[in-house]
Amino acid sequence: MALVEFRQVRKEFIDRNKQPFTAVAGSDFVIQDKEFVVFVGPSGCGKTTSLRMIAGLERQTSGDIIIGDRIVNDLHPKDRDIAMVFQDYALYPHMTIRENLSFGLRNLKKPKEYIEQKVREASAILGLEKMLERKPRELSGGQRQRVALGRAIVRDPQVFLFDEPLSNLDAKLRIQMRVELSELHKRLGATIVYVTHDQVEAMTLGERIVVMNQGVIQQIASPTELYANPKNMFVAGFIGSPPMNFINARVEQGRIVVDGGSFGLPENIAERLSAYSGKEVVLGIRPEDIYGEDFAPGVSTEHRLQAHIQVVEHLGSENLIYFHVGGRMVTAKVHPETKGYTGLAKEFILDLRKCHFFDPATQERITGK
Amino acid sequence: MKSKSKLFLAVAAACLVAWAFVTVIPLYWMIVGSVQDSTSSASFRPEMFPGVLSLAPYERFFGKTAAWRWLANSLLISAVLTITNVFFASLAGYAFSKLKFPGSKAVFWLLLSTMMIPAQVTLIPLYVLVVNVFDLGDSYTAIILPTAVTVGNIFLMKQYMSSLPTSLIHAARIDACSEFGIFWKVILPLAKPGLAVLGIFTFVASWNEFFWPFLITNSTEMRTIQVGLASFVFAESTDFGAIMAGATVGALPMLILFFSLQRYFLQGITIGAVKG
Amino acid sequence: MQRTIAPKRRRAAGRFWREYGWAYLFILAPVLLFLVFTLYPVISALIMSFQQYNIMQSTWVGLDNYERLFKDDTFWKSVWNTVVFTVCTVPVNIILTFVLAHFIYQMKTKWQTFFKATMYLPAVASGVTISIVWLAIFDPTDVGLLNRFLGLFGLDPVIWLGQSKTALFSLILMNWLGSHGAGIILYLASMGGIPKSLYEAADIDHASGWTRFRAITWPLLKPTTLYLLVTGVITSFQVFISVYMMTQGGPNFATTTIAYLIYQTAFKFYEFGLASAQSFVLAFLIILVSVIQFKYFSSDVEY
Repeated sequence: MALVEFRQVRKEFIDRNKQPFTAVAGSDFVIQDKEFVVFVGPSGCGKTTSLRMIAGLERQTSGDIIIGDRIVNDLHPKDRDIAMVFQDYALYPHMTIRENLSFGLRNLKKPKEYIEQKVREASAILGLEKMLERKPRELSGGQRQRVALGRAIVRDPQVFLFDEPLSNLDAKLRIQMRVELSELHKRLGATIVYVTHDQVEAMTLGERIVVMNQGVIQQIASPTELYANPKNMFVAGFIGSPPMNFINARVEQGRIVVDGGSFGLPENIAERLSAYSGKEVVLGIRPEDIYGEDFAPGVSTEHRLQAHIQVVEHLGSENLIYFHVGGRMVTAKVHPETKGYTGLAKEFILDLRKCHFFDPATQERITGK
Repeated sequence: MKSKSKLFLAVAAACLVAWAFVTVIPLYWMIVGSVQDSTSSASFRPEMFPGVLSLAPYERFFGKTAAWRWLANSLLISAVLTITNVFFASLAGYAFSKLKFPGSKAVFWLLLSTMMIPAQVTLIPLYVLVVNVFDLGDSYTAIILPTAVTVGNIFLMKQYMSSLPTSLIHAARIDACSEFGIFWKVILPLAKPGLAVLGIFTFVASWNEFFWPFLITNSTEMRTIQVGLASFVFAESTDFGAIMAGATVGALPMLILFFSLQRYFLQGITIGAVKG
Repeated sequence: MQRTIAPKRRRAAGRFWREYGWAYLFILAPVLLFLVFTLYPVISALIMSFQQYNIMQSTWVGLDNYERLFKDDTFWKSVWNTVVFTVCTVPVNIILTFVLAHFIYQMKTKWQTFFKATMYLPAVASGVTISIVWLAIFDPTDVGLLNRFLGLFGLDPVIWLGQSKTALFSLILMNWLGSHGAGIILYLASMGGIPKSLYEAADIDHASGWTRFRAITWPLLKPTTLYLLVTGVITSFQVFISVYMMTQGGPNFATTTIAYLIYQTAFKFYEFGLASAQSFVLAFLIILVSVIQFKYFSSDVEY
């Protein structure tokens, strides 16, 4: 049983200019046993600090951290039954791979045979058997990454902590390691807390994702839920690539008015927006929910928008068309058959069933409840 | 580039050769002077390129002095100072650069701020303290203790240690390593090049140190080679050969050290001096 | 979450030592040594400087020591000598160092190493050794290398260290001809750090050699120059060994530097109080000059 729980955990620093700085502002969450949870957010959002607090490398200013069935606030990292994989791998450069893998177990004074067995097991899982006597500098980036993983695996911890482990790898290797990490999770059956700034990594790896910004947890949800029902503009804009478009709009008599068009609203949406009649809202729509008028299969074509195309990018499998609506840049991800030239005026079709509305003041999604 | 014309390079090379010559000539003169027997005739005149070499000056120098004892003293004192400085300066430098603790900045700045105060200020109370209060006059302890770890060395090690990756320390902490274990098993092996440089420079500086050992020693047996040498020069000011032999004896171990570890000397100077 | 077991809350003090105790332990030895062998002596020296010091019984004399030394011609003479020595050596050495480094920089790597090593070499010999050798070089008799060299040009022998006219100059000359290796190495390291693109840009702008020096080389090497200046001044303000070994401050106080005077006052005449006062004047001068150098020299340099 190894859940990880935060109860009102705060972390404050004094920064270089001697100003107090809140890195984590009262986090509350429970990570279930055997769950793979990814913390994601821009740099400085508090995700790494949260991870370090779980590890015990950093002490929270207030609040309780629970791992398994113990409050671990006062426990040394070595007593927390965790293992960590670092962004720069943090392999001991003067030790061989075998020594790197066994360093922790040796410090814990485990029996020799036990250590040997654990090292053998881990290196078999990760395919490191042939390089055990080498030094880290003789290994490639991917191999070092594996050693860093192995060092965590031999510890047999209840919770694995990953601090941006793939960010130093090239794109190809990163995708390969992503797959391997998912498999490893199933195989090890341990709780994994994973920190990354890369939303693609978060979406592909996480069973649940914790989105953070400026020390505050924005939303905790599964990848599909996060994508379909972002709680606020930050989450909506952070998850998805290219990011969600935001268009300034006005609600007027059951219609939504934007620069370049106005649409009648489907009933369920109109209901949601009932409190906003006559007020400004922000319409959020993902690039893939915008179609060119000439290629919109299976989409109701009634919600049309007129705009001048700024730029067209041909990516092969799709085209990205950029245009302005009400002073904001909007991206449409359209089928490559869709015609479009720079400077051309064109009609776009918005799939309003999939759009979201946000309160411009609170930035929260308008749910109508 | 304009400045790289052939004429310029030739002039530059000529100047450099000339200056290099000027720089080494005193040392050459010292060594050459030490192997000519100045007592062989009344009208002795040391030559730049002597025809006959003689070790008689060395025999006289070692015969008239306790030079072997002085060399042993210097070796012992320099070795101990090197070990204590490398160990304590790296330990403190590590703490100041990598460990967070209340007051670390204040303590560090207190240490550093006294670096500008010249040694002459502390000398007299130090002398009174060591000789009268601790009653340690004329002892190895008295020579060693005040400079067992210097602030300058701590500063250098702090600079050096701060370039080591902090994640290794975190990894080791998670790997159940004790705090001293982290320093001993992870930091020290990583910092070896810096420690080597610090060790070499400390050894040379300790070997060459004159004033404090001179002040604190009374008996002939407790003198270091530098102090002994100075006393010999004042006692035997006319024996040119023996004096040069003594000077050579005092300098030769360091010259040998320099030639065998040249790389560390030349690279080590830039550590911690100026950034950029 | 009833199953959550909270370990006994340890006392705050316990947690403090568990978290920071090691760090304090790691700095303990240096801090203790510092307190005993630096901080205490500094304070003690300050007190001594207001006392007629005696091991058994010191008497408080207020500013008497300072008054005495300000009225003491020898003290002013020593300040003058120290300043002359510093002003004559440090700037010349820095220019010399810079020119040598600039020349060496043009050479191939192999020769760079050779010249660096050669010019550094005398720095590994002790001050005592170097002084002994120069004592011989300045020797007024037939042994003296310098007079023999001048003789080649038909010049008369000079009593270098034995007359007050030339004694201080002799020490300065010896300093000029000493090792500039450390400074050369520092300059070379900084020169290597100047981006080549800056010079290429200057070439495109048709900058003359002097302009390149003034606009690129000099400003970018300023931190190194400042470092050499400050450390050079601090070192030469404390010059002692060559004075002690070669002239004993003479003749007629011509080479008595402040550091040598302090040594004499303290350990020849055992006037600890007066010597302490002298040492504080020296400290004051050093700090004053260093601060001025930092202020007028470092302001506009940014990396």
